[in-house]
Amino acid sequence: MARKKKYAMFIDTLKCVGCSACVYACKSENQVPEGFCRDWVVQKTEGTFPHLSQLIRSERCQHCENAPCVTNCPTGASYYPGDGTVQVDRNLCTGCKACIAACPYDARYIHPVGFADKCTFCQHRLKEGLQPACVTACPTETLKLVDLMENSSTIEDLVNGRQIVKDKVHAGTKPKLFWLV
Amino acid sequence: MTEIISNKLNPYVYPNLDIWHYEIPLYLFLGGLAGGLLILSSGMILFKKESIENKAVRWATLLSPVILSIGMLFLLLDLEFKIHFWRFYTAFIFTSPMSWGAWMLLIFYPFSVMQALIVFKDYINFYPFILKTIKITEPHLQKIAVVNVHIGTGIGVYTGVLLSTFYARPLWNSSVLGFLFLLSGISTAAAVMLIICNSGDKRTFLKVDMYLISLEGFAATLFIIGGVTSAGAFHDAMVYLISGTYAAWFWVLFILCGLIIPLLLETLEVLNKVRYSPLVPLLVIIGSLSLRFIIVNAGQSFSTFY
Amino acid sequence: MGVINRRDFLTISSAFLAGSTVLGGGFVLSPYRQGEVTSLKSDKVVKTTCELCFWRCGIDAHVKDGKVFKIAGQKDHPLSNGKLCPRGLGGHGLLYDPDRLKHPLIRKNVNGKSSFHKATWDEATTLIASRLSEITEEHGPESVAMFSHGFGASFFKTLLSAYGIDTFTAPSYGQCRGPRTEAFKLTFGHGVGSPEGLDIANSKYLVLIGSHLGENMHNTQVQEFSQAIAKGCRIVAVDPRFSTAAGKAETWLPIKAGTDIALLRSWIHILIEEKLYDEDFIAENAIGLSELKKSVRDATPEKTFAITGIPVEMIVKVARDLGRYQNQALVHPGRHVTWYGDDTQRERAIAILNALLGNYRAKGGLLSQKTYPIPKYDFPKPKKSSRKFKSVYPFAGSIPSNEIVDRTLADSPESFKAWFIYGTNLIHTLGDQKSTIEALRKLKFVVAVDVLPMEITGYADVVLPECTYLERFDDLDARAYKKPYLAIRQPAVKPLFDSKPGFEIARMLSKKMGLPDLFPDKIETYLESRLKKIGHSLVELQEKGVFVNQDSGLYRSQNEKMRFDTPSGKIELVSNKLREKGFDPVPKYTQHPENPPGFFRLLFGRAPMHTFGRTANNRILGELMPENELWVNAVAGQDMKLKNGEYLYLVNQDNIKSKTPIRVRLTQRIRPDVVFMVHGFGHTDPRLKTARNRGASDADLISHLDVDPIMGGTGMNNNFVTFTREA
Ligand SMILES: Nc1nc2c(c(=O)[nH]1)N[C@H]1C(S)=C(S)[C@@H](COP(=O)(O)OP(=O)(O)OC[C@H]3O[C@@H](n4cnc5c(=O)[nH]c(N)nc54)[C@H](O)[C@@H]3O)O[C@H]1N2
Ligand SMILES: Nc1nc2c(c(=O)[nH]1)N[C@H]1C(S)=C(S)[C@@H](COP(=O)(O)OP(=O)(O)OC[C@H]3O[C@@H](n4cnc5c(=O)[nH]c(N)nc54)[C@H](O)[C@@H]3O)O[C@H]1N2
Ligand code: SF4
Ligand code: SF4
Ligand code: SF4
Ligand code: SF4
Ligand code: SF4
Ligand SMILES: [Mo]
Repeated sequence: MARKKKYAMFIDTLKCVGCSACVYACKSENQVPEGFCRDWVVQKTEGTFPHLSQLIRSERCQHCENAPCVTNCPTGASYYPGDGTVQVDRNLCTGCKACIAACPYDARYIHPVGFADKCTFCQHRLKEGLQPACVTACPTETLKLVDLMENSSTIEDLVNGRQIVKDKVHAGTKPKLFWLV
Repeated sequence: MTEIISNKLNPYVYPNLDIWHYEIPLYLFLGGLAGGLLILSSGMILFKKESIENKAVRWATLLSPVILSIGMLFLLLDLEFKIHFWRFYTAFIFTSPMSWGAWMLLIFYPFSVMQALIVFKDYINFYPFILKTIKITEPHLQKIAVVNVHIGTGIGVYTGVLLSTFYARPLWNSSVLGFLFLLSGISTAAAVMLIICNSGDKRTFLKVDMYLISLEGFAATLFIIGGVTSAGAFHDAMVYLISGTYAAWFWVLFILCGLIIPLLLETLEVLNKVRYSPLVPLLVIIGSLSLRFIIVNAGQSFSTFY
Repeated sequence: MGVINRRDFLTISSAFLAGSTVLGGGFVLSPYRQGEVTSLKSDKVVKTTCELCFWRCGIDAHVKDGKVFKIAGQKDHPLSNGKLCPRGLGGHGLLYDPDRLKHPLIRKNVNGKSSFHKATWDEATTLIASRLSEITEEHGPESVAMFSHGFGASFFKTLLSAYGIDTFTAPSYGQCRGPRTEAFKLTFGHGVGSPEGLDIANSKYLVLIGSHLGENMHNTQVQEFSQAIAKGCRIVAVDPRFSTAAGKAETWLPIKAGTDIALLRSWIHILIEEKLYDEDFIAENAIGLSELKKSVRDATPEKTFAITGIPVEMIVKVARDLGRYQNQALVHPGRHVTWYGDDTQRERAIAILNALLGNYRAKGGLLSQKTYPIPKYDFPKPKKSSRKFKSVYPFAGSIPSNEIVDRTLADSPESFKAWFIYGTNLIHTLGDQKSTIEALRKLKFVVAVDVLPMEITGYADVVLPECTYLERFDDLDARAYKKPYLAIRQPAVKPLFDSKPGFEIARMLSKKMGLPDLFPDKIETYLESRLKKIGHSLVELQEKGVFVNQDSGLYRSQNEKMRFDTPSGKIELVSNKLREKGFDPVPKYTQHPENPPGFFRLLFGRAPMHTFGRTANNRILGELMPENELWVNAVAGQDMKLKNGEYLYLVNQDNIKSKTPIRVRLTQRIRPDVVFMVHGFGHTDPRLKTARNRGASDADLISHLDVDPIMGGTGMNNNFVTFTREA
């Protein structure tokens, strides 16, 4: 049996320039229709002139370990394939949107064809040993997809003593996007 | 000062969630009403077997599955992938209220329809199989009514629980919501029955409705207080409901027109201070309908953006 | 106070486009395969070169069923390293732009009304040849100028020079990098180059003066910027606006616009006074220190504070930090530097500052780059023209485009009669639109080669539709870079419509213009012949996409004796060349006009997903940013009763009004005396269906130019605007 995997993404906010290359890369790779996106960029500026600080975050589905989209999906279309990701089986999806209401990160949308869609961590690329499209395209190497089950030294190198921020931990979803600030 | 810029494109998700439109509030309203009708009619049959002769009870038994079916139609209308409707029945997901709801319907229909058939058995003389079934089940009407009270309650509560399990929508995420929607559903049912019933029964149904409206008012108060006294997003969401974009609707349509005015008028009617007017139950229905719309809309437009 | 709904703070930067669910031409809808998430598998991947800007990254164009559906960064290309900027990723939005020029157009005047008529290539090229021959016969080949910007221009230049036309100009000089090139040539003997010879990745202390990396999205430079950040580089951003780069910086200096020279002089002053500069390096390699020292003596931090608004302690702190890091520190020379008309002097100050730090060919400093060695093709020798263009600007190393406009307007026998325009939208590019349009009207003949019906094509007599970079071969790219490389551009798909590659157009013209043997039959022959000379083949390069040489001798070795290509052979802190021509040998600060009451200085720049106006009609790229916004300081805006998000027209100091309204963004991120917008929006040509009437054009409002007397660059930042709600 193949070794168990648990994918997560580390996002270095210091490097990210908010260019949105990750969004365009995802859109072409996954044929995300016009008017929709699986990832996006949030730019937050705080303070008053001239004392300002800025945080830029590339965001997408968190592939929660305890995903409310999965628990609330009435058909089992949203599921854990066992590699630490959360996926949608289009064949089972009714388009009831319960998962959209359930997701604290507003990571999903309804594809015009009628199913719920969201970031897959580019599962199809992972299977081929490739990194996700957004990770590959990002000119600043802000994004890193890691397998948390793999030896932790890569992760230690990545984190390098820096603070990790997770989004909306109070939602109890155990999100797996880790922002390095 | 905080300036947030996001380039998330998704319509209906950003800048605020807008996933469910008129269909779901209507579905929740009709579901609640159907549940309420079933509870009241079955309850009255339990209470007094002769109730099956009562016009309002008879109609309520019949209307309940019909109204629920209309509600289901709206649910179907809301599905983005309608031909996959049957997928609800290829899985039972324990944690999903929607799945519970779907399966609950499977129990609702046989029992509520059975009760309606028994009540209207005199009109059914054309289909031997059905007649035979009625014959077998009729002696168990009381038992069926017991089950139906529970099913009705289940459906009524479900219309609220469907929303309240979404932690992500802090306004909905209140345990009182199921209770509130249940009471609102029964009180709406009472209002409907009040309209249908013979003039001799008006007083009875007025009293029932007064009682239910009072309970609903109590639940609404709990809902508001619960929200206001909690922390963070939950507090903000409630404050948003009672003082934000939807505040006017909430206070005027639901609280004033849907609760206070009908309660007042019904009291006066019972005290024979004013004459009965069908406007009063109509107000209750409007109030209950607007409650679904307001809660669904306010809830989804206030997300946990922090 | 009411309850604060947190969403009220949100500024939605990109509104969802009405009706945009219509799929863009480039999209192939994913097959709805039941159950599994599918993605498209490419039939082939073509290694080629991006042209959504002038950086020219290597790209992999993924093709399926004869359609490009995805573009990714080429792994081995030193300019992309497998990654791309957003524009490059959305290049197929240009390829499948439904508004593209589809066939040649010829202007015809019927009953006093002029309009475009569809023409065949034969008609169009015949007409061009005959008109050019008439004009050159009457006025000489010197009366024809060629404007170009972009890689594809090379064969047209070959053609025109063979014909005797040799006035070539590009806005990348007079409207962009010109002052930097001349300033660094005067100081170090060579320019900074493009791609820039800057070792940003290894810099430990980086000062950005108005170069807004991160919005200015030149791929490799941004890659290096982030590598520097990752390695803990300390960053100083000098910008009146809190740019993305400022957001990354340890120190943001919100300088009063137009006062940079004062700040730079003060830093020079402190470095010298406090002996923080690299003394050995300067002693060995530079001349003029004592004169420099004397002439910046008055640039005290106190005086500089009064000019720039930057607190004394900040000025001193940055200077001392620079001195601490010395040759590991870098003051970025910027790229688009034509701001105030004294830009060569400002760039000189930057060059001098870098010289003092001793970072020349040091790790993390200024580099001199090499090219991948490849000989030229043996084209027949071009005709010598009798009267070569001579600029009135003594240090104009190239021809400033604006000077061609001036000379066209001038009533002299030397004035231009025809323009051949390749890949530049002069209407939005040159500033002082009125003069550009007047010149275009005055000309006898105008040819425009473009891919889109951009504004400039509306002024042409003949419009030639080139196919996009994804549909053609071009010349080989072998510019100087840290890692010398040789890259190919090759077609991913066949040309759409009746458009043609530049080479073929130039070749067709050559036949009509009496130069039948100028070009080989096919561009492949040309490329093959060049590659053969260095022992490679075209197939090999087509497969690999790029050949890369490892850098050797990028960094100077210890005790390496250096010679600079300047009159003294040294770095010239004081420039006698400038002195001889009557200019300040050491940069001086002069004051620029202040904004009149109620007016704001109009600043402009880049957004990561757009390149000037060329992407405004790109439906893929435009999705995330369909229009530009006007940044206005929140307090200043409130004083003027502006509402966040409202659309306003702008009126400039010459009472010129923007053609389209622009959405106001009230923000803390900008000084109260300036406003900012992204260049490239506000198109009004009805043929640009997507871009039309989205946002406003800064170019419309830049009616005043401050021309740099040293090299002729056009400073555009002394324009001021106010608002009106009236259409
Ligand atoms: N995405 C994207 N990237 C691009 C391009 C593009 O079109 N799109 N174009 C490329 C090209 S050709 C060029 S030349 C470069 C240009 O990019 P850069 O050389 O980086 O910069 P500019 O456009 O001159 O500078 C704009 C910045 O200077 C600031 N500024 C304005 N006035 C002053 C001043 O008086 N003092 C100081 N200190 N700052 C000031 C503005 O606020 C703004 O942040 O970008 C390149 N990169
Ligand atoms: N107001 C204002 N003026 C500016 C600037 C500014 O920021 N504000 N920036 C200045 C700077 S830094 C620069 S470098 C210049 C840039 O100025 P330009 O070089 O004029 O840049 P664009 O506006 O992108 O125009 C490029 C033209 O080339 C066409 N084109 C694109 N691809 C191809 C192709 O493959 N073949 C052909 N034949 N044509 C093609 C496009 O359709 C477009 O018409 O502008 C300068 N002028
Ligand atoms: S591509 Fe990279 S740098 Fe650009 S926004 Fe995405 S994560 Fe940030
Ligand atoms: S982020 Fe949302 S969609 Fe993604 S796994 Fe978590 S709950 Fe589900
Ligand atoms: S929309 Fe699809 S994936 Fe989402 S909850 Fe409904 S059935 Fe599940
Ligand atoms: S991992 Fe793949 S699906 Fe997810 S945002 Fe990145 S490119 Fe899109
Ligand atoms: S920087 Fe971007 S637009 Fe420019 S060549 Fe590279 S990928 Fe293309
Ligand atoms: Mo430029």
